[in-house]
Amino acid sequence: MIQKIKRLFVFALMTSFTFFGFTQTVQAAMIGTDQVHAAQASTENHAKIAAALDRPEVMSHLEKLGVTRADAEARVAALTDAEAATMAGQIDSLPAGGDVIGVLLTIFVVLLITDILGFTKVFPFTRSVR
Amino acid sequence: MIAIGDLCRRMSAPAVVLLLLFLLVGCATQTRSLQSTAAHLPRRAELAATPFFAQERYQCGPAALAMSLGAAGIGITPEILVPQVYVPEREGSLPPEMLAAGRRNGAVSVTIPPKLDALLTEVSRGNPVIVLQNLSIPMSPLWHYAVVIGYDLDASDVILRSGTTERLVMPLRTFEHTWARSNHWAMVALPPGRLPVTVEEGGMTSALVAFEKTAGPAAARKAYEAAVQRWPDNVTLQLGYGNTAYATGDKTAAVTAFKRATELQPDSAPAFNNLATVLAELGQFDAARQAAEKAVSLGGPWRDAAAATLKDIEARHGKRVR
Repeated sequence: MIQKIKRLFVFALMTSFTFFGFTQTVQAAMIGTDQVHAAQASTENHAKIAAALDRPEVMSHLEKLGVTRADAEARVAALTDAEAATMAGQIDSLPAGGDVIGVLLTIFVVLLITDILGFTKVFPFTRSVR
Repeated sequence: MIAIGDLCRRMSAPAVVLLLLFLLVGCATQTRSLQSTAAHLPRRAELAATPFFAQERYQCGPAALAMSLGAAGIGITPEILVPQVYVPEREGSLPPEMLAAGRRNGAVSVTIPPKLDALLTEVSRGNPVIVLQNLSIPMSPLWHYAVVIGYDLDASDVILRSGTTERLVMPLRTFEHTWARSNHWAMVALPPGRLPVTVEEGGMTSALVAFEKTAGPAAARKAYEAAVQRWPDNVTLQLGYGNTAYATGDKTAAVTAFKRATELQPDSAPAFNNLATVLAELGQFDAARQAAEKAVSLGGPWRDAAAATLKDIEARHGKRVR
């Protein structure tokens, strides 16, 4: 909740500054491909603000989920803005591809049947009907 | 999901089975339509040279990625990839990080269209595809990454490197059911210079810009080079090629690319700005000043950067700002 309020506040604040521009720091003589590419999106500034907030959020979340600080930092750095946004919004709900074994006994029978019918493939020993 | 769980607790076991079957029974429509309209696909294909790494507990993500990277000529073990993609508390790996880790290890990674046709097309053209499946039912998911390395349309099978099975033959229909539960999520990780055949221009451009940022200019230049050949009219790709050519010391190639970009989009301030910089470094000050002035006059968000470039050129050429 606090995170949400914080985001909302910063978002409102930053939006109000939009007209003063997010001009690039005037350092490099070359304009980077990623800057140009990001600028083509119509919601450029919104996306930038969101991305600036997403990364620290994803990083701390990854740490909470058992990733070491150094690894989390390198992982967040490798994400695109869009990927960081997806991670920030859905890190707990995104499917985490993990295993082929380990099913609760209660639904064992159901899955056995669905396996045989070819809707699932949970058990290595099943062969579905065609 | 919660609603279904509550419902199940109040119902008898046979009723649960019937309900679940009812929920699950959908048609494997893509499989069916593929049987009749797959004239462009070879009847079978198998990328047998794809290496195999048996997964450790919960770590199909690193294993699938290592196999795909191996096929791309990037030798890496799943153990090295674990700290790059695995999330311990989730006991699995998340799709955005699978893409990011591909880039970190020097491969251009991109999702392909969510279609069985696209998936098999990639495989038939030599690109193994990482897929995300839910092997179980939506209520109790078993998310799993595997690598599709082949198929046989006559037998209606797909061939996967999956889990601890080096060559898993799965009925196409079953595969489609398990894959559909991830909304047909699939990605390729290819060596720079090789492009997937099914990814459209926009998706590929974004993937290449992301690749440049992570993998550095030398590898990215190769990737852009292939892309500008396929989509010569794409300004972003021309800029990317120019920027990476410049960063790797090939200023002549950079000038050609930036000039092409200014022709394609005559109001692109970044293209004129970058062209001006390289021309100045090549000693062509008049042309450089002209390009920089054009960039300044186009204004927009790049006005300050362009003005700095112009100032720099004029200072270097020993002339005063007019």
